[in-house]
Amino acid sequence: MRRRLFSLSIMRINWLLFAISVAVVLVLPACQRKPSDPGVVHLRAWTMWGGDEAEAFQVVVDEFNRTHPHIQVHNLAAVEDTKIIRAIVANDPPEIFTLREPGYLGSLAGNGALLCLDDYFKQSGLKESDYAPGSLSQCRYNGKLYAMIYLMDCFALLWNKDAFREAGLDPERPPKTLSELLEYARKLTKRDANGRIVRIGMMPPDPLIIISAFGGQFIDPKTGMPTADHPRNIEALEWYQQLIEVQGGAEEVNAFQAGFGQEMGINNPFLVGKVAMMINGQWNPYWFQRYGPKVRYGAAPIPYPDQYPERKNPTWLGGNIFCIPVNCKHPKEAWEFLRWTQTVEAQVLFASTMHGVPNILAARKERSLREGEPWKRAFAVFMDVANSPNASHFPPTPITGLYQYEIYSAVDFVRYGTKTPAQALRDVQKRVYREMLFWRR
Amino acid sequence: MRERQRNLQGWLFVSPWLVGFFLFTLYPILASLYYSFCDYRVLTPPRWVGLANYVALLTDRDYFLPSLWNTLFMLIELPLALIIGLTMALLLNHKIPGIGIFRTVYYLPSIMPVVAVAVLWLWVLNPQYGLLNAVLSTLLAPFGLQPPGWLADPKWSKPAFIMMDLWAVGGSVVIYLASLQNVPAHLYEAAEIDGAGAWHKTLHVTLPMISPVIFYNLIMGVIWTFQYFTQTFIMTQGGPQNSTLFYALYLFYNAFRDFRMGRACAMAWILFILTLIATLIVFRTSARWVYYEGERG
Repeated sequence: MRRRLFSLSIMRINWLLFAISVAVVLVLPACQRKPSDPGVVHLRAWTMWGGDEAEAFQVVVDEFNRTHPHIQVHNLAAVEDTKIIRAIVANDPPEIFTLREPGYLGSLAGNGALLCLDDYFKQSGLKESDYAPGSLSQCRYNGKLYAMIYLMDCFALLWNKDAFREAGLDPERPPKTLSELLEYARKLTKRDANGRIVRIGMMPPDPLIIISAFGGQFIDPKTGMPTADHPRNIEALEWYQQLIEVQGGAEEVNAFQAGFGQEMGINNPFLVGKVAMMINGQWNPYWFQRYGPKVRYGAAPIPYPDQYPERKNPTWLGGNIFCIPVNCKHPKEAWEFLRWTQTVEAQVLFASTMHGVPNILAARKERSLREGEPWKRAFAVFMDVANSPNASHFPPTPITGLYQYEIYSAVDFVRYGTKTPAQALRDVQKRVYREMLFWRR
Repeated sequence: MRERQRNLQGWLFVSPWLVGFFLFTLYPILASLYYSFCDYRVLTPPRWVGLANYVALLTDRDYFLPSLWNTLFMLIELPLALIIGLTMALLLNHKIPGIGIFRTVYYLPSIMPVVAVAVLWLWVLNPQYGLLNAVLSTLLAPFGLQPPGWLADPKWSKPAFIMMDLWAVGGSVVIYLASLQNVPAHLYEAAEIDGAGAWHKTLHVTLPMISPVIFYNLIMGVIWTFQYFTQTFIMTQGGPQNSTLFYALYLFYNAFRDFRMGRACAMAWILFILTLIATLIVFRTSARWVYYEGERG
């Protein structure tokens, strides 16, 4: 009898436990935080920035929320692109998100995951002519607008004036052409008693920038098919190969570069004098002021190829790309946030803390971005360079990630002399062409 | 009736596990098999393409086959890890004062997180300022030789990874050590009476007695090598010249960089089959050299 009672009570406890767990499973989802005020629309923004940069973006979000009481944007910082893609597949994406890798724009848009913004853009009164060259084209795929850009990245030549003086060069006169740049790079490269590099004349730049400086081409604008082995692309890599050679060859340059510290901080190789010249982005002047205020440097447009004077003032653009998913529950409000980021006030507010180049032309003239703190003088050079008609960027394609990786590995082969530039780029062309056909099928 | 009720209770209690197994293990495995025959770009529904993914992979001389070769190269590490690990275990098995400290010191590297180890070794292997080349360049200088560029050199990048992993061999040392201590002392006594020296005792008593553990470490090593990923993802991302593009890294690139999930699934199944074959080979040969106590013959 006793035993039976005992087993009965065990059974009761079992059922009780089971009932509790069922209740928990059923009730939990209902406990999600509900917006308190029914008139306010809450938007989730998933953005790429972390740390200091997340704080800079939060300032922008706070300003929007303050001026738009009927919409509240909640920022989630440091989000990886793959997390966003998973959320889209799971049919629960945030209302607004950024792309850390703008190369994803083409594959997302091509798969129908993004909201087309053309109608919103037309109705909002924004004008194409307000936009800087190379800004909206970063947001278009197959002629349709799928994103808004909020500040751009732009590249220019930075040089260390003390290194120039030491090498017997005029510290106020940066190289103008790419052959001059080779000459300077050779003179500025310094070695120790064992012949090893202690200062590199010119940090090997991103090869995509050099290809664009030569007026190269990645995609045929008519057919939309890859043109990796375009003659100008080959010329660009031939120049790149020379740059590595005049500085001692791939192994020496690689070994030296492997010793570089973090760029964002006091170990920045340019600031510690390991690099005499580099092609880098507009965020550098602020970093230099913060991490190496004593370093004397200059900023100038990227040198152009001697044989193509029409390519003067080339530059490479990037940008902060904001998208709205196609299944967004509040597209109107999400657009209202993106629309607001295109106002001069919002552009200047973000540019002053994030140190990006405004994509709205009127904001580039803003005096508060050009005068005042020391970093702003060099920053102004970047803003002017960004206006150049020879500014370009990687065209949005559905295979951008693969395409760029292929070019970087081709450059790797060229650096070591395993393949000639023409050979390497023809191999790239074969593969990306096939991939594009596969994509279009 | 009562029996049925108890059965029902049993099912209810294992149901969380069953749901988990069917939903999160069996279903994904079967789904990946299906996707491996599809053109699946994650954001759009999969489209059946038959064997196209497998054909594309097995004829890919630029990435797939090199990545497989790079991974197979890393199998060199297994015999090295075996010799070094076993030697260390034998040395650490001596009853000398302070042995606990030695055991701790040699075990420590293996409890470090892989990411931390990778970042640390980036500096150790740095061709110009690294600890390793600082020592090597003074040793090699009299012969007029330069130390290798390690991760900056396509010829030395894989050996550099092997060296780094051998540094953290302590995990298997502990397993060897535990099994060494399980070897019955009377076997050694008997061998001594028969006139065996230290060498013969190791060869004819110790090794056969711990062979099941060697076998276990070998199997785990094979599986681990085929999945080699974290170190290269952090340290080289496949470079220079794709010399460290290992199988799992290329699988990851297919899935999450190029959105070729179908092809990535196909790679996963090829990996499964390769691991299966390699493990079966080790199993087949094991009958000849693995000795199980209590087994006849």
